[in-house]
Amino acid sequence: MNIEQAKEIVRQVILEALEEKKDIADDDQLVGGAALLDSMKLVEVCLALEDISNEHGFEFDWTSDATMSKSRSMFRTVISLAEEFAKQSGE
Amino acid sequence: MIVITGASKGLGAAIAERLKSKDKIVVGLARDTSQMTIDNVACDISSYMAVKNAVREIKKRGECLEAVINAAGVASMNMAVTTNEKTVQHLIQTNLIGTIYCCQLFAPLMLRQKYGSFINFSTVAVALALKGESVYAASKAGVETFSRTFAREMADFNVRVNCIAPGPIRTDLLRGITEEQINNIVSQQIVPRGFGKPDICDLVELLLDDKSASLSGQVLNVGGI
Repeated sequence: MNIEQAKEIVRQVILEALEEKKDIADDDQLVGGAALLDSMKLVEVCLALEDISNEHGFEFDWTSDATMSKSRSMFRTVISLAEEFAKQSGE
Repeated sequence: MIVITGASKGLGAAIAERLKSKDKIVVGLARDTSQMTIDNVACDISSYMAVKNAVREIKKRGECLEAVINAAGVASMNMAVTTNEKTVQHLIQTNLIGTIYCCQLFAPLMLRQKYGSFINFSTVAVALALKGESVYAASKAGVETFSRTFAREMADFNVRVNCIAPGPIRTDLLRGITEEQINNIVSQQIVPRGFGKPDICDLVELLLDDKSASLSGQVLNVGGI
């Protein structure tokens, strides 16, 4: 899976979690002060990404080391989550 | 389906038998499953990867995960100053970290179905600060605080988290404790009599029942403190 495909998937699952039409930018914050998602929505996004990863033959690990660092967390932005998702797909 | 850790002996085995007798689908987790008569998955809960693999096995069964009962635990009754490094680490790793691993890794299955219940185990030694059980009590105090906080994180998803804190129950964990020590602990309970495995199983059934839907983040001290 390339980064563009991953970005599209991540955008789609975020829109579904938000249940509203909205422009989502690559650098939109996912968690924190001005975040797109509250904790419940974030979990829903992770569950949806887990389902999609299974369809693509890999297992999306949302408790990996990549979730922990403040500066490097995959949950910083839309693009950081998409990058981690693409990376875990192993392609 | 209900997953029970530490299901090969002691309280875990008693809970598994009780729930099986109530026609629940039970899967037991234990390090040594060779003597187990119920459906089981070999798992050392102190290992993150072992728990992760057990979750994969449980997922494959394709059943709705109604509850996880974290009954696995180890005890060592000693004063902190006479407890060696290995024992301190073993107590914390199994009782506290093992419980956390099982909660965090089984939780996604319940989050997905927006339903479920975790039952963790503490001890009366926390509330009574029992002399000679400092490290064991510390590991279980961690379980209580984790359970209360984890309950808030799970609440949006209709997943409940509670803790049972038994007094002295006749299991392997009580090896080396004298009758006098047991009587002394029991005398400090609000209901000053000994309770056994059947009483704990009753509480487990209560916490699994929808009649306890209002209970989450609670520590139920057996006998009352």
